[in-house]
Amino acid sequence: MPRDRSSSGTQRMAIPKGKLKPFNYDAAKIGEELGSYEYVLTQEMLDSFRRAVGDPDASFPTLAVKHDATALAMVYEDTTGGVNAGNEVEFFNPPIPGKKIRVTGRIHDKYLRRDKPYLVIEATATDEDGRLLERLRTYQMKKPDEVGKKWQPEK
Amino acid sequence: MATRKVAVNDKLPSVTKRITQESINDFESCGILDRENIHNSPEIARQRLGTSFPIASGRMSVTYATEVMRRYFGSQVFNHSGSVNLKFLRPVKAGDTITVTGEVSESERVAQGVKYTVNLICQNQNGDQTAVGVGTAVVP
Repeated sequence: MPRDRSSSGTQRMAIPKGKLKPFNYDAAKIGEELGSYEYVLTQEMLDSFRRAVGDPDASFPTLAVKHDATALAMVYEDTTGGVNAGNEVEFFNPPIPGKKIRVTGRIHDKYLRRDKPYLVIEATATDEDGRLLERLRTYQMKKPDEVGKKWQPEK
Repeated sequence: MATRKVAVNDKLPSVTKRITQESINDFESCGILDRENIHNSPEIARQRLGTSFPIASGRMSVTYATEVMRRYFGSQVFNHSGSVNLKFLRPVKAGDTITVTGEVSESERVAQGVKYTVNLICQNQNGDQTAVGVGTAVVP
């Protein structure tokens, strides 16, 4: 997969547009495998993350890499998007700069609540030595304009 | 590292963060996909949410809650046994100030030690809750 670097030092992966499938909520299957990928966590990435969150000891820059959403984006073109309704994350070992991180993603669940469709995506990260780092789940509400209507009146 | 003495009803020291569009953009730039989204693009926020402003990723609040937990339990404990589970209630956007507080709500003996559960609340400068949930850590 082609890569370059952002100003923050993060390795960028480019996804060829033609390779993505259009996301269809009704067709998405619980347990379906999403993209699996690897990247090297650099010290520069860790430093950028710590600056962004104002915590010099922050240990899990993987939170900003958004492993599960990235796994989804590597498989599907999702033009509707979603709003993050919740996150569950378990921490096992902090990632070590210079090590390769391997991520596997899947669709953990999907359901309707108050007539709104939710998609639960999950990613598990291990490093090149096989250390389990983090397991992350995101509850995406797939009608983002529904909540936007409520938020916009705020002044 | 000495293990902290933890008790139910203990209040964790809070963390307060000022949210700017720059901090939101910096957080987004840590991703490995070069994508514009509802966090860093006003246009995409307008198209998808119908809002006139981008919103901060909920994962920023998760990171702040993680800081509260790690500072209290210590990195040797939290980074190897911790969890954070947040439900997002309101948008966080540039100009907001978010304070994360926590209180130990229960303890349970498990094989590896004692598992503590902390009720976590993220509040904005108006006193509105933006996220609620729990964190856990297992103290050997």
